[in-house]
Amino acid sequence: MVPDATVQGNPRGIFDRSTRGARTEAVDFEVEAGRVIFFAETVGETDPIHLDREAARAAGYPDVVAPATFAIVIDLEAGRLIEKRGGMGGLTLINSDFRRLLHGEERYDYGGLVFAGDVLTVQTDVVGFEDKKGGALEFAHLRTLISHPVRGPLVTITRSVLHRLG
Amino acid sequence: MTDLANAGPGDALAPVLFGPITRTTLALYAGASGDHNPAHIDIDFARKAGLEDVFAHGMLSMAELARVVTRWAGLGRVESLSTRFLAITPVGATVTCRGEVVERFERNGEPRLRVALTAEIDGGVRTLAGEAVLRVA
Repeated sequence: MVPDATVQGNPRGIFDRSTRGARTEAVDFEVEAGRVIFFAETVGETDPIHLDREAARAAGYPDVVAPATFAIVIDLEAGRLIEKRGGMGGLTLINSDFRRLLHGEERYDYGGLVFAGDVLTVQTDVVGFEDKKGGALEFAHLRTLISHPVRGPLVTITRSVLHRLG
Repeated sequence: MTDLANAGPGDALAPVLFGPITRTTLALYAGASGDHNPAHIDIDFARKAGLEDVFAHGMLSMAELARVVTRWAGLGRVESLSTRFLAITPVGATVTCRGEVVERFERNGEPRLRVALTAEIDGGVRTLAGEAVLRVA
């Protein structure tokens, strides 16, 4: 996907391009109902399947249902779990500088719904790096798989983040 | 949930308006999402980084784009959702999120809808552009 020429580097680049092809440790993350409800309320969700256990169960779900972009929570908290254990989450692994970091693209491919109570395995691959605008921007491409031990892959996250190098 | 049996190109989804985005919104989103990047919540950090102010998480607007789709079709029909982040969303902005069906096609012999999504702030600045692919059944 990312041509080889793009890994030759950018003299101003900050991302650690030697991490191309690297993979974070796989960690298990438990989806808690309170977190799903807090997230849903914050983004203004009004559908009770995200906000109220009883309503979710009445609609046939085992517990509150994670909203579409809750995948970001699972991903970031999995990264935090890795770091608590002394490892590196995806953004740390590639040497992100938050003073210059912006989000380029975010994509979710869904294999099924996520419910409170799920214990999900999360792992991120560093797909590659790319320079744009004559090296004024450098992009990192990451892919994270969120999977359930029985229901299989539930969300694949494809993300690009970038540094402004001006 | 909308019956999508006859949905097709040109169908406009009901828009979602979100905002004005306050610093409180950003603090809550940082905690709720786990995105603690100080560029969104700490003006001292933002100024040291050469920014005038903190700015909203792009993912907050993506959550609203997702709501345009899920309010119309239901979360269970969403096969994929993607966005590009085009411009920063400042504090105080109101975000208008819109969706329109642009294509009806088949994948593995089953009908799908492609919905184009855009987020816009005051003054007509487009901040996000994306799409969702939906199952019809």
